[in-house]
Amino acid sequence: MLKLVHSDIIVLLASIGGILILARIFAELGKKIKMPIVMGEILLGIILGPTVFGSLYPDLCNSIFPKVGAAKIAMDGITSLAVVMLLFVAGMEVQLQIMLKQGKTAVYTSFTSMIIPFALGFAAVWFLPGFFNFKADKLVYALFFGIAMAVSALPVITRILMDLNLFKTKVGMVIIAAAIFDDLTGWIMFSFVLSLMGQQGEITSIWFTIGMILGFGLFMLIIGRYVINKTLPWIQQKLSWPGGVLSISLGLCFLGAAFTEYIGLHAILGAFIVGIAFGDSVHLQEREREIIHQFVTNVFAPLFFVSIGFKVNFIENFDLPLVLLVFFLAVGCKVFGAALGGYMGGLTRRESLAVGFGLNARGAMEIILGTLALNVGLIDSKMFVALVVMALVTSMMSGPLMKRFID
Amino acid sequence: MDLSKLKKRPSHPFETIAVAVSFSPRCLHVLAEAKLLSETFKASLILIHIGEKTSEKEQHFDDLMNQVGMDDSHYRVIWMEGDTVETILKLCKLNMVDLLVLGALEKENVLKFYLGSIARNISRKAKCSVLLLTNPSEQLRKYKKIVVNGVENPKTIHTVSTAFYVAKHLKVKDVTIVNEMNVPGLAMAIADDSTAPEAKEIKKNLNEEMEESIHSIMEKCDTSGINVMNKSIKGKPGYAISKYAKDRKADLLVINSPDTHLNFLDRIFTHDIEYILAHLPCNLLIVHSRV
Repeated sequence: MLKLVHSDIIVLLASIGGILILARIFAELGKKIKMPIVMGEILLGIILGPTVFGSLYPDLCNSIFPKVGAAKIAMDGITSLAVVMLLFVAGMEVQLQIMLKQGKTAVYTSFTSMIIPFALGFAAVWFLPGFFNFKADKLVYALFFGIAMAVSALPVITRILMDLNLFKTKVGMVIIAAAIFDDLTGWIMFSFVLSLMGQQGEITSIWFTIGMILGFGLFMLIIGRYVINKTLPWIQQKLSWPGGVLSISLGLCFLGAAFTEYIGLHAILGAFIVGIAFGDSVHLQEREREIIHQFVTNVFAPLFFVSIGFKVNFIENFDLPLVLLVFFLAVGCKVFGAALGGYMGGLTRRESLAVGFGLNARGAMEIILGTLALNVGLIDSKMFVALVVMALVTSMMSGPLMKRFID
Repeated sequence: MDLSKLKKRPSHPFETIAVAVSFSPRCLHVLAEAKLLSETFKASLILIHIGEKTSEKEQHFDDLMNQVGMDDSHYRVIWMEGDTVETILKLCKLNMVDLLVLGALEKENVLKFYLGSIARNISRKAKCSVLLLTNPSEQLRKYKKIVVNGVENPKTIHTVSTAFYVAKHLKVKDVTIVNEMNVPGLAMAIADDSTAPEAKEIKKNLNEEMEESIHSIMEKCDTSGINVMNKSIKGKPGYAISKYAKDRKADLLVINSPDTHLNFLDRIFTHDIEYILAHLPCNLLIVHSRV
């Protein structure tokens, strides 16, 4: 049995400590030049991983960040925990009510900003297969690529709206409502696609998977949400604070993740749906929400985003035509889809374009999606690099382009 | 009747007040309070009963009026059969009702809440202002504190000015305008890349913006003789203000009418007014600004 020995423990602890401190330094330096924090973390991973440090000093790199063995398995376990927790906190920000509240414009924008990028992404793989290197079934790959084109990143978008002082405007609320819808449908569809891997398209399995997703989702969003809302005041009053809320919330997150993994869906779905149910409670205090976010975003997220740089050699796998195709397709279909919905919903042409560029920010969510797809062998390293580049560039261009259309 | 006149009719003064009569145990108290309100606002009073007109009911009706101390020169009665909610709403439109008074339980049982009780369904759909009385009494209660929702919305100016109009007539000295702060993704965005002073600055700016918007509304209202307080609270819109009104022991909560057509889904994924209707913290005035 593989076991962590003395030297493995030292390597593991030292690498975690080093990554956390360096990631913070990179993130803070990046902030000075208005770079998203996640970009600083990924850049650190690229420098420490096979792209730079690993190609210059392969032996030293391998001894600090081993590619095999117990320490590597332990590190993989930690990054898996990180991604589950990241999806949990992303779920906590999903407010289904926002969509119901915003009415027609939000409904049109939400649907078109999801369906048009998904359809165009799917069609690109289906009709231009030569551009893509399938590792999986064509249908599964096309579904994944459609979702990758459609997903948005609520935290990045909120930050941009806040910086531009737009979040309380009609345009801001439409963007937030649509981003919530895209996140929700995107992650549910992605967990469906992941569960299709290895099923060889058996119709009964597919229907079973869809049934399980719907069943779990509805159960958690109606009954689970109700139970959490009713018990949270008891947790806040009877258990130590904020430790009680923190441990119970993350405990539920892992139980939800374990359950969905057990029934053949991916763990991220359980974490995401439990996050929605937990974050929706009217009793969850702002301070508790912030503590959970701080814990996950500043301890586990850097480990995950730095580890991305360890996965592939970004220079070797930088395929310019593919990067350009993914980037232009992603920007074109998302901006067009979202702007069309906004225009149909009654916004002016300029406001619609602002909505389009606002929703175009893919941020950390796209990177998580790509990493999970790479881990299960759905995509290759070149596509992964193209998705990471697209996510980072769209996050950086979103604010300035929105500003052009909102003045 | 020209219903287009309703469109631009201001939310106050209350010239016509209607009350739905159901012959329930609390009916007498609702009638008494409606009568006192019509006197206070110098409004004409319409009593609406949906159901068959029988001699037995007429007798019951006369008894109630005697107990309340109303003679028939002070009110008009409308009897009509049909779907209770739709018929009341139609009658309110036809008679240019400015304020509809209804008795309502503080909390309905779960099934009734999701299916929708009459008072709550009317509140969701009414095209006039609606006053839900949670604890009606024979004497006009002494209203001391009013809490008003100051959410950023074109309707809010009308709601706030109606609240001051009500406060003046009911001689209320203490009015609090509350703004609820809820930004999806804010916690995550701040956790991502804000220093402590930056996070503090972001929150401070949010508060200042809210206060500014309330001040700009107040400048357009007559607040003389009323002690007005501004308050920003964090939490889910609807739930946060409902809790605040309860904690402050407010006598009346004043809110905007719903922006969208509310249905069953809005009760499943509760938001805004649905949180308040789920558990009324005190009397509730839903102002329909007709804009």
